[in-house]
Amino acid sequence: MADNRLAQEVFFAGTHGGEYGEWLQAWQAERAEGIETLLLDAHNQSLSVWGLDPDAHRVTQLVWRPPSPDSVWAADPAPSRVGIRETENAEPFIARTWPALPWSSGSPVVRGKGVFFYPLGPVRADVAESVEYRLAVMGDEMIHVDLRAGFKRRHVRTLVVGRYIDEAWPVVTRFTTTSNVHHTLAMALAVEKAWDISVSPTHTLLRTLFAELERIVSHLGDLAVLAVSTGLPLPQMEYLHLKELVLRLNYRLFGHRYLRDLIVPGGVQLTQWPQKADVTWALNTLATVYRQSSDIASGLLNTPSFLDRLHGAGVIPASTVAQVRPVGPVGRASGVSFDVRQALPYVAYVSHPIQPCVETSGDAYARFQVRVRELSVSLSLARILLEEWRDLDTGVQAARVLQMLKGPPLYSPGLGIVEAPRGLLVYGLYPHKDSGRIEHLAVATPSMRNWSAVPEAMANHNIMQDFPIIDASFSLSVSGWDG
Amino acid sequence: MYYWHWLRHIVRRPFTTGFPTEPDPTVARMADSGAVHTVTVPEGPFYRRSVALRHVDGGSCNGCESELGLLTSPDYDFSRYGFSFTPSPKHADILVVTGVVTEAMIPVIVATYEQMTAPKRVVALGTCAIDGWVFRDAPGVRGRLDSVIPVQVNIAGCPPTPADILRGLWAAIEGEPPPLPHRDGASHAEKQYELVKGESR
Repeated sequence: MADNRLAQEVFFAGTHGGEYGEWLQAWQAERAEGIETLLLDAHNQSLSVWGLDPDAHRVTQLVWRPPSPDSVWAADPAPSRVGIRETENAEPFIARTWPALPWSSGSPVVRGKGVFFYPLGPVRADVAESVEYRLAVMGDEMIHVDLRAGFKRRHVRTLVVGRYIDEAWPVVTRFTTTSNVHHTLAMALAVEKAWDISVSPTHTLLRTLFAELERIVSHLGDLAVLAVSTGLPLPQMEYLHLKELVLRLNYRLFGHRYLRDLIVPGGVQLTQWPQKADVTWALNTLATVYRQSSDIASGLLNTPSFLDRLHGAGVIPASTVAQVRPVGPVGRASGVSFDVRQALPYVAYVSHPIQPCVETSGDAYARFQVRVRELSVSLSLARILLEEWRDLDTGVQAARVLQMLKGPPLYSPGLGIVEAPRGLLVYGLYPHKDSGRIEHLAVATPSMRNWSAVPEAMANHNIMQDFPIIDASFSLSVSGWDG
Repeated sequence: MYYWHWLRHIVRRPFTTGFPTEPDPTVARMADSGAVHTVTVPEGPFYRRSVALRHVDGGSCNGCESELGLLTSPDYDFSRYGFSFTPSPKHADILVVTGVVTEAMIPVIVATYEQMTAPKRVVALGTCAIDGWVFRDAPGVRGRLDSVIPVQVNIAGCPPTPADILRGLWAAIEGEPPPLPHRDGASHAEKQYELVKGESR
């Protein structure tokens, strides 16, 4: 597959054997040239940063190999001093790999007359994931926000070490269920790169269809939460109904509401399709969802009480955007024109190019706009893919692929880079060179990166009443952070 | 303006079907007849008219949250049966716990349970909360809700569909879930399915 090989050509930007600070400077210089950081990884006594050059469509790797790990750590500066913060939330994971590493960015202590603290969470809202917000409030204004996560770590990365690929599969698909197709797809791409497995065009097409259906469900759910955060239950109910409609479509076509376990190494595995598939009905349903969701969005865009709450709420400061480089709809709403589907096309995005939907204001309104436009794009693309779909040309030779995955890989590491509904998702897979068991798995989820932009966006001249709106406009998953 | 949507919904037939008290083959197809399992039949008086739920995420993959959130959607509308979500455990009658139950969440779950007033019921939602599912051996994962607080109803599934959750909540109050309509004869369900499919065209 052409797109597979594209990412396989990794350009080694260099290995630094000297000071840690120099390596950080090199990383910073790389970023200044427009290279997007994909993944920060500590493995095999070295730190490496994987980057993506969107213009040259190639992946770079910048490695730092400390001369003697024990002595170097003590004198090292904290990474934030160089102004790199995209991987702030990846650092705890790295710190666990290398306990000697001084990754403690620390948070300023806020105190003073009239400052009140609202600890919110981990039990909060109606149905919400466990995370704790510590809001420092002065009058109505939130002046500082701290986030505390780690309540729900399931240690996915640790759990898969030492397993064969097929044994690791059930765990990977349960990293984040609302993006499970993309997690599986990224893992599958990584596996296929490591073992150099090719995927037939019809399987690729179907994988793209799954990915787009998942994006539709995710965006519809996020928009529903955003609508109700401004006190508008009617659009929330309408969005939820459309979400349920697509979930039922998933079930009828492919046998699972969240399309789980359909993507396997080497292709897709279908139990139901095509016996019970009714393409005309599915196309009509998608057309209904397209029509109704546009209708809801235009209704909301003509509702002043909705727009008043969104405009200017939760603007991500420019300095935070530069340091964190948020990804996905959150990033694109802040002027970061980066979409993996366009920058490094994978699966069928090679033949179905996507233009990133970009807004520049960086507020809740921009994030709403980006999601609404991406939803329309995804719905149109899903319809095109469904129309193009023909009978699978070849079945996955599951037994053969399985046998292959229990043998030595051809390349290591295998990288899987996809655009999940919430943004850039990268899997770095290091299989054992003889047995094929997983030696190390590095994962960079979009939520992990975007959560570090949330405190600054909230404590940016917003009042307490904006909190649910800002929270909903980010729509991040905690399981993606705490995996 | 959004008022037009409002007016349209007044004349339109509701999206809500009578499930689980009335047959809905589309929903019944997705549901799993063996999903709901009553561990201990709840005893004693329980106020059955308005039941407030408190949800606690004990380390889930957010699939159960997504399905639980859909109970408020017009397709399921659990408020028909008196259910509602409450932000405060002190107002809650049923505690719904999702996820693998991590060690970090155990004190939170216990505190939430203790803050609820009697009579109270506990529902373990999803296979993770019942036995840890694929995360059973992960470090820092307890994996069983019933080792932390007494559980009345287990709802299995990964994730359980909203229909199963609704039946499980029902079981938490009544002691047993309502039967799944149109599951006994597969051919009948197929016929119903074809019928519904035709309607939606």
